[in-house]
Amino acid sequence: MASSFADALRVVNSLKAEGVVEDYAIAGAMAILFWTEPVPTYDLDVLVFLPGSTGSLVSLEGIYDWARRNGHPTDAEHVIIAGVPTQFLPAPSALADEAIRTAAEMDYDGVRVRVVRPEYLIALYLEPSARTPKRQARAAMLLEWPRLNQAELDAILKRHGLAV
Amino acid sequence: MDLRSEQPVRARPSPELLARLRAGKALLRERRTALPLPEKVAQLLLLQRLQLPLIRTQRPLRSWERPWEIQP
Repeated sequence: MASSFADALRVVNSLKAEGVVEDYAIAGAMAILFWTEPVPTYDLDVLVFLPGSTGSLVSLEGIYDWARRNGHPTDAEHVIIAGVPTQFLPAPSALADEAIRTAAEMDYDGVRVRVVRPEYLIALYLEPSARTPKRQARAAMLLEWPRLNQAELDAILKRHGLAV
Repeated sequence: MDLRSEQPVRARPSPELLARLRAGKALLRERRTALPLPEKVAQLLLLQRLQLPLIRTQRPLRSWERPWEIQP
């Protein structure tokens, strides 16, 4: 029987439980799915804090080593977890740090999962290094979400020098 | 050529009709947003199968761009 998306999330949770990552939050298109409508995507983006990564350059070797030990194949920077190509991105900015720390605890079919809040997803899409037409379209989609906390979004954007 | 002068004067939708159409669109989005998460993932799996053949006609697929062989 094929794996389920919940299986993939359980494995991501195990990375934290085993100390391979200090913390994580689902980001990108799969995070959007948790808040609004599904948008096409072919991978699962996971923002992570790696252990012992303060003040030095980070390496994903710990994650790849864990993947090898646990029989998860890799493909072009992705770890294939229960059939889902998964990309782990060490938090690249203070904004991403906040996005992980403030992630919402959500439930997917009985599995607890940490998901970047929509206000932070928008801000991440508006970072100059990440501004592509596709990401801008996703930010625009989230900006239409009726339950968006506009005051929180404004505060995040101001704190990080970003604008819609 | 002045395109505006050659066009027939058309009847336009009323502001009320436009508002109703927009409200209908918003309601549809609201319903999709409220679906249980596994149903949204099922929709995503379907979207992947529909979209990939189109992407393939525009550019080579990356090695990891393939439908997920999973259950929602």
